Amino acid sequence: MAFREINSKMVEATVVPGQRLFSQRGAMLAYRGEVSFTPNMQGGQGGVMSMIGRRLANEDTPLMSVEGSGTVLFGHGGHHVHLIRLTGDTLYVEADRLLAFEGTLQQGTMFLGSQGGVMGMVRGQVSGQGLFTTTLKGHGAVAVMAHGGVFEIPITPQRPVHVDPQAYVAHQGDVRNKLSTALGWRDMVGRGSGEAFQLELSGHGVVFVQASEEKL
Amino acid sequence: MFRLQGSKVLAVDMTGDAVKAKNGSMVAYDGQMTFKKLSGGGEGIRGMVTRRLTGEQMTVMEVTGQGTCWFADRASEINLVRLQGETLYVESSNLLATESGLRTGTSFTGLRGATQGNGLFTTTVEGHGQAAIMSDGPAVVLRVSPQYPLTVDPGAYIAHQGAVRQSFQSGVTFRTFLGEGGGEAFQIRFEGDGLVYVQPSERNTIAGDV
Repeated sequence: MAFREINSKMVEATVVPGQRLFSQRGAMLAYRGEVSFTPNMQGGQGGVMSMIGRRLANEDTPLMSVEGSGTVLFGHGGHHVHLIRLTGDTLYVEADRLLAFEGTLQQGTMFLGSQGGVMGMVRGQVSGQGLFTTTLKGHGAVAVMAHGGVFEIPITPQRPVHVDPQAYVAHQGDVRNKLSTALGWRDMVGRGSGEAFQLELSGHGVVFVQASEEKL
Repeated sequence: MFRLQGSKVLAVDMTGDAVKAKNGSMVAYDGQMTFKKLSGGGEGIRGMVTRRLTGEQMTVMEVTGQGTCWFADRASEINLVRLQGETLYVESSNLLATESGLRTGTSFTGLRGATQGNGLFTTTVEGHGQAAIMSDGPAVVLRVSPQYPLTVDPGAYIAHQGAVRQSFQSGVTFRTFLGEGGGEAFQIRFEGDGLVYVQPSERNTIAGDV
């Protein structure tokens, strides 16, 4: 694994020749050795087509590629950092929560409306996260950011998990997600419990939740 | 059953029972849950009227269900308090959740409340069960005994329990008005037998400006 947790808000990455890392631009705190940082105009991998895809999808958080040999410290905005390891499965995460990830991972964008139909689209609006999300697939590690610590809840077919859209960070695995509502007439007259919308995740995987309802 | 998951997340395992929690503090759940807002903050018409009058309004929801429900609020640290018949006094903004065996009410705090910037009333929690209170940074629990009274900065105070008398102290002298105050113009003094919860941070109070 290329990443090592230094404390709850910093990770250290080991860079070796021939292996690339991507990180959010400006997230480098310090480095040792011969390391170069190049702004990545395409905002990640996959060539021009995927760049256009990301632009359209508004998932084009500026990234830089990190190459060379040495170690680099990453952290950003005092946010908590959480490491997620992928072994062939897919991670779904908002681009602005990505701190850094290994170049061995395949980056893509996914249209949320394709899962859960209309509610999938509403989901993006409600959670303020837009209609698209970034996917990372393959073998490697990802560092994501959150407000407050992150905890993991396993998802099994018998036990679907419901998450507050504002506290949702990312999920991984073979998981279906849809927006569920608990809207009743009470909510309409402004007397709701404040838990009107939830993301329902079902299938096999893990969901990452932050200890806060604040956006980054 | 309340348990902490890390220091900032409260996990509650439920088997058909109900807990009261701050409105909107649910971050995730599995199983079946229903969320209902309690009108005026619970405890019947009388509680509602006092809450309205006192401004000690916390918006509370009742969570009922089977499964595990996770609560968190703006990445605050969470402390579990077990009550066995005694009363916990806590600022409503610092109360995250209470078990079904606990009743909540309002009590007059006098001048102390005004210096804390929290109004003249505070929330009381009584009965048998656990309560989860929040603090800005990890809280410490300080014991007050007849031999050892305790003095606390109003901005760092979050809650207390037990047979404790509290009085308000002012260090305001004419020097304060000449702009030579020590920055610690007001304090709360606790005497008796009990526990006081103190956070490593000072919320904004009028005392801070004096």
